[in-house]
Amino acid sequence: MKLRLSLIALAAIGSVFSLSGFSQSYSITNARIVTVSGATIEKGTVVIRDGLIEAVGADVKAPADAQVFDGTGLTVYPGFIDALTNLGLAAPARRTTPTGPGGGQAAAAAALAAAPSSNSTYPAGLRPEEVTLDDVRAGDAQFEANRNAGFTAALTTGRTGIFNGQSALISLSGDSVASMTVKSPVALHITFNTIPGTYPGSLLGTFSALRQMFNDARRHDQLLKMYAANPRGMKRPDADKSLEALIPALNRQIPVVFTANLENEIVRALDLAKEYNLRTIIAGGQEAGKFADRLKAQDAAVILSLNFPKRTAAASPDADPESLQTLRLRAETPKTAGKLAAAGVKFAFQGGGATSVNDFLANTVKATENGLSKDAAVRAMTLGAAEIFGVGDRLGSVEAGKIANLTVVKGDLFGTQKTITHVFIDGKPFEPKPIPRTEGPGGRGPRAGGPVSTALPDVGGTYSINIQAPGQALTGTLTLVQQGGTLTGTMVTELGTSPLKDGRVTAEGMSFGGSVVFGGQAIDFTVRATVTGNQMSGTVDSPQGAIPITGTKNP
Amino acid sequence: MKRYILFFLSFVLLFALSGLVVGQSKGELLIKNATVMTATRGTLQATDILIRDSEIVRIGKGLTAGSGAKVIDATGKYVTPGIIDAHSHSMLSAINEGALSVTSMTRTRDMLDPSDIAIYRALAGGVTTALLLHGSANPIGGQSTTVKFKWGRPVEDYPIAGAPASIKFALGENVKRASFTPQPGQTVRYPRTRMGTMETIRDAFRRARDYKQAWDDYRAKKTKVPPRTDEELQPLVEILEGNRIVHCHGYRSDEHLNVLRMAEEFGFKVGTLQHGLEAYKIAPEIARHGAGVSIFTDSWSYKLEAYDAIPYNAYILWKNGVNVSINSDSDERMRRLNLDAAKVMKYGGVPEEDALKMITINPAKQLGIDKRTGSVEQGKDADLVIWTGHPFSAFSRPDVTMIEGEIFFDRAVDAQKRTEMAKEREGLEKLDVNKAPGTGGTPPRIPAERRRGERDEAEFVIDGGNR
Repeated sequence: MKLRLSLIALAAIGSVFSLSGFSQSYSITNARIVTVSGATIEKGTVVIRDGLIEAVGADVKAPADAQVFDGTGLTVYPGFIDALTNLGLAAPARRTTPTGPGGGQAAAAAALAAAPSSNSTYPAGLRPEEVTLDDVRAGDAQFEANRNAGFTAALTTGRTGIFNGQSALISLSGDSVASMTVKSPVALHITFNTIPGTYPGSLLGTFSALRQMFNDARRHDQLLKMYAANPRGMKRPDADKSLEALIPALNRQIPVVFTANLENEIVRALDLAKEYNLRTIIAGGQEAGKFADRLKAQDAAVILSLNFPKRTAAASPDADPESLQTLRLRAETPKTAGKLAAAGVKFAFQGGGATSVNDFLANTVKATENGLSKDAAVRAMTLGAAEIFGVGDRLGSVEAGKIANLTVVKGDLFGTQKTITHVFIDGKPFEPKPIPRTEGPGGRGPRAGGPVSTALPDVGGTYSINIQAPGQALTGTLTLVQQGGTLTGTMVTELGTSPLKDGRVTAEGMSFGGSVVFGGQAIDFTVRATVTGNQMSGTVDSPQGAIPITGTKNP
Repeated sequence: MKRYILFFLSFVLLFALSGLVVGQSKGELLIKNATVMTATRGTLQATDILIRDSEIVRIGKGLTAGSGAKVIDATGKYVTPGIIDAHSHSMLSAINEGALSVTSMTRTRDMLDPSDIAIYRALAGGVTTALLLHGSANPIGGQSTTVKFKWGRPVEDYPIAGAPASIKFALGENVKRASFTPQPGQTVRYPRTRMGTMETIRDAFRRARDYKQAWDDYRAKKTKVPPRTDEELQPLVEILEGNRIVHCHGYRSDEHLNVLRMAEEFGFKVGTLQHGLEAYKIAPEIARHGAGVSIFTDSWSYKLEAYDAIPYNAYILWKNGVNVSINSDSDERMRRLNLDAAKVMKYGGVPEEDALKMITINPAKQLGIDKRTGSVEQGKDADLVIWTGHPFSAFSRPDVTMIEGEIFFDRAVDAQKRTEMAKEREGLEKLDVNKAPGTGGTPPRIPAERRRGERDEAEFVIDGGNR
């Protein structure tokens, strides 16, 4: 009792003094330490000082000034890294609800116009110079759910456009963006999107536009060098920041991350990367296992999504059976990590927009049940990710001198009974709240991420929906899973199954995006709707226009 | 030293042996006793075809193959060249880039989807080769890809190595956005008239000439700064230099005449006029220019500019010495191009072999691949179809479709695979990930294609976009 009081006193003094540069030290003693970079220490001590790991070992003693955490029965891992997120970024700006015919186009044009002002000669969406870090907000609260699940750092990038922004690796704690930043820029991110209302308006154009920009950037690099060598008699090259931003990628100074899940996307990404000799990372990679040898040959890494596909909607006896391709994909996806590991492809894990951050660990376990070794799984969440992002020398393992990002687990990480007891981020301890049990799909109520604000409407559930598309009314099923202010789920209509993207619930209503394939083209849509009682009504917004959607919640 | 030589020799032996093994595994294939419709050298009765390493090595009677060769008894059956479809949009993830009027920078090669079931269905209809074209939303559309339907192979195996580069042009209603009503806030794309269409094409070629000049000057060291590598203009330079074939979509004869004149003005030849429903009106002019025409036999009236069509189009063009091919422009029609070819015998009386040519050697010439495929001839790729009966009979079906000696469709294997796949499905459906959550909910409605009476309309909307 006395000891504990004095510790608290010490900690209190410590926190006061830390403001004036007092050295802050913690020790985790008697713990099992999975260093990842070396052998696991069955019983040892980790000493943390000033945000770094000062010492690790079986014989290391806790320094006198350290706050001591008794690690008996606990395992210390390098802090988990979510290798692709949108963390720290504001939710997508809410567009005004369009009215009347053509509202969708007008709104799309307005959204483009409302994009951050830039004097780039390229349209919003084709601006590789945009740096994600510029949009990241500081503050600990926003990362609470992720820390509770054991995460200490994340790669974050924008959501929209063909160029999604140059990503940043951030600590999931910090009072300023400057102090949170581990590395920026990490990579250039490309998603094979289109730009509504302008060129490229189709996937065909997306590839041609990228090719032209890479061609122009290569020439720009050449012109800049010529001009630097001898400006006389040569018209000065344009100060084109968009092209300039591509030069480091062409020179292999930074990698290019391509969002690519399915076979066609992965092949197209690898082909384009080969054409321009880019350092390649595939993000998503559901079918990457089929191309393990090619990925290895091209020295491409994978940021593998742990959001494994599963059937989310009930079918009726009248519905077409699902394609064999879909059924196979769901069965095969959990095997991807094992295949990549066997082929020696570098890979890391990302949550992939899963319903709950807790799915990350649950599906990591599933990967280990499908051919991935547990050691390789831990590596993918720690040092593997750090190495892909070029920070393996300072992050990702429990070694003296490295950043003190640690995740402390009670119980078997790969078992069913496990608790994240502490995380350390840049040497700062956090004690996660107990994680409530995850409910099944359609379940409601607070999850990891804190209590749901009472001001938010409760919209979760399954709806029978009706979309008044011109010429053909579409019917279907909308499954919404609400988790605080975020919304996930699927929309199933005659046009297929669309997983929901960027789902949000606010006091005024809800919004989510998705895409359907029609006539061979992917069409992105956004739905904005309100729920009153068991009735839902709103608007579906797409390049084809704005059309009403109504729905009734199934009891 | 001796030891080294031995070592070296054993290596040589190893390589020689492995070469032998590879040669055998690719192997010989002998088709026995078939009625062979060669498409170029008449119909041969009770004839054998010997295939070795993807090539037809001998055609004749009483041929024998080495031991280990696969032998197909085709008694009572017909063999034709694999069908070639000179106008298809199958296996493309996107077909139209509609945002610009000139989209020569786009490549259908980027959009190939080897998982498209239309490929397998085409094989079941005897199609081995197709020209995959960009859509018709632009006066100058995207670059096309000539493929063989090697179902099951990785995507890079589909494009025919060495096939000439080509590109889609388009004229008329689709290009001037006749059935496209701009919504408020949406920009109206130029051109909106047929004369604007010609201006757009001419302007692009003038820009291409300037672009070529800039590169010529740079290469001659007249200028110091390298010009751009322009994805839009480079393919147009290739057209001007005769290294890229133009396939020009159009309906009205006046427009097709315009584009032939424009090509002559810029010094190149149009490869094919696509659709050309009024081509019969200008058959001598087309013959004089040297263009081919690729048509439907008897599909018309699906839009205003498709009204002045006659079923004698193929006959009149053929009579005037124009190279005519019959195409599908549709995943569905592609499966029965043999019957579309048969129709030209009825309308006007094109002889049987010339009718067969319209789906084999003629499109092969239009695509510039006739040296390798399009007829049953010694030395050509073994792209062959074995039919249950005469290919122009509505009761005949392909039994076997092969590309370069490799069987990609076999009716017997197909039946066996159906059972295997049903079993696989049964297993997969039992997995948790494939089970629906037990939350009930309203099921999705039956897809439109399975609802009676709505099928034709839905299909028209989708297909009509490119025709």
